[in-house]
Amino acid sequence: MCDQSGAERVGEIIETSTVGFVAECDELHCLPPLGSLVRVRGAEGEVIYAVVTYGETGSIDPGRRVVRRGSADLRDQAIYQRNPELRHVLRSVFSAAAIAYRRGDRLSYLLPPLPPPLHFSVERVSLPEAQEVTDQPRYFAILAQYRGEIPADQLLAAHARYLYDVRQSDRDWLERAARELARIFKHDYDRLVPLLEALDPDLA
Amino acid sequence: MTLDVAAIAEELQRLAFETATGECDGWNALEKAVRQLDEANLEERLRTAKTSWLLARATHSYRGAWPSPAVPNRYGVVATDGSLLNPDRHSPVRYYVINLGGVVLSYGEPSGARMGSHARLYASEDDLYLSDLSRRIPVSGAVLGFRRAVEELQHAVELVRSADPPVVVLQDGTLILWGLESQPDFVANWALGPFLDALKALREAQVPVAGFISYPGSSDVMNALRVSVCDYPPQGRTVNCDHCRARIFTEGHHPACDILPDVPDRVLFEHVMRLEPGARSNVFASGSTILDRYPEDDRIQFFYLHTGTEVARVEVPAWVARDRAILELVHAAIVDQCSRARGYPLALQEAHELAVIRAEERRAVEILVDRLLAEHGVVMRRSAKDRSKRGRYV
Repeated sequence: MCDQSGAERVGEIIETSTVGFVAECDELHCLPPLGSLVRVRGAEGEVIYAVVTYGETGSIDPGRRVVRRGSADLRDQAIYQRNPELRHVLRSVFSAAAIAYRRGDRLSYLLPPLPPPLHFSVERVSLPEAQEVTDQPRYFAILAQYRGEIPADQLLAAHARYLYDVRQSDRDWLERAARELARIFKHDYDRLVPLLEALDPDLA
Repeated sequence: MTLDVAAIAEELQRLAFETATGECDGWNALEKAVRQLDEANLEERLRTAKTSWLLARATHSYRGAWPSPAVPNRYGVVATDGSLLNPDRHSPVRYYVINLGGVVLSYGEPSGARMGSHARLYASEDDLYLSDLSRRIPVSGAVLGFRRAVEELQHAVELVRSADPPVVVLQDGTLILWGLESQPDFVANWALGPFLDALKALREAQVPVAGFISYPGSSDVMNALRVSVCDYPPQGRTVNCDHCRARIFTEGHHPACDILPDVPDRVLFEHVMRLEPGARSNVFASGSTILDRYPEDDRIQFFYLHTGTEVARVEVPAWVARDRAILELVHAAIVDQCSRARGYPLALQEAHELAVIRAEERRAVEILVDRLLAEHGVVMRRSAKDRSKRGRYV
């Protein structure tokens, strides 16, 4: 349904703020996964890195409700084949929280000085770049304070899980991430344990 | 709230009762008139009848129905619709905007869709006024409506060029520009010329076009039935409605056709002719005089179609009605389109959604005009009446 390989661009910013942005996908259903890393090139040449915090697909027009199109004989992908207009009246959008920005060679784990401009492109982050940006999980503290559509713990767990896969099960990084989580939640054991379990059951 | 709903509620109740019961009056007479209809005799009566209303002429028969043909495995549909920002009489800047929505849907393998809209602003003297040597008519209201109809059809002709056959063009509403009958010749020519050019282009491309009218109020076939029950011919007189109606006041005369209920054709075809869902009536020729100015091949004819939820009127040019295969394509495509969007053609629904200009968008254009004028040092002076409506106070 959605070929995630190839093109870097996944969508375009339709709402923006200092703490993050909302983007509409170029292709229906082609959402970047929860917790994955995306980037935007800002107006002044800086690169803003953000973690995907939420995704949804619905009607482009909020006044038009989505109704059932299928039946026992017509389901899933065949519905889209039979109703070609759906790709034009539905859209997928996702939110992302800014965690860092790069200006020149300098990478800062801070919110960007300026929000990324509206209508700028949101891109996937290549493997080596993702590995570099997330090498030191100090920015986990920003995500731990996330307030949005999903609980911050779910976001952290999804992000850590995504990175562990991106980093090809790098145990050294996993330990650094676990230590960072333990530091953030040192006074909140009840939140820490499920997070470590989500990351790797052996860690808890 | 200044509308006292309670004050009109009683009257509305009476109206609802009359509407609910009124349609039943004369039902038996209508059934009988259809059953006993002598089509050859009616044709003879219609040839000489003098009436002031539109009469449908059957191209084959008044009775009879055609079930829905099989939907082709592969077909395309092109639909366009337009929306207007009317000239604002209270604004110092005169312009209007036509926003056209266009949809091309292809079904089969592979299926596909192209959908888009484009807006155009008109502000030149030629766009805003039509004139001959003595008159200057503003392009607004009904006249602007003709321009929109023309542009909708022209846009469909453009979209058809990139659609693979077989393809059907759908338009929302009538293809009979009957409103031009009351316009001066130079206005009628201004609208009809490009409209007929677009119909001709579709005919030459062998792409059928159909105007879809939901919940039609027309009574062309009912009017023909009235002629069939007229008691003038048995008295050796030709049907003459003006004469007959005038006698109501002079002699207390009761016209024979008053036994038939005052219902539109859609009621006739749903409840008396009993069209099945998906079926259509035979094709009828319209008596609208504006059609005398259409080329014979493009003269609009019509049939009634049960979409599954209602009886709609579908208008097609004569060349489409004459070609059995193309007429079946139109019939099947509309039934299929209606099944996809709860009784109204899906392509028209989407074209409308793309064309419609919402209240907040209208306001956004007004604000933009205000701002652009202000940038040039012009402070927008709206009419006092308009300002009074915008800045309400007590």
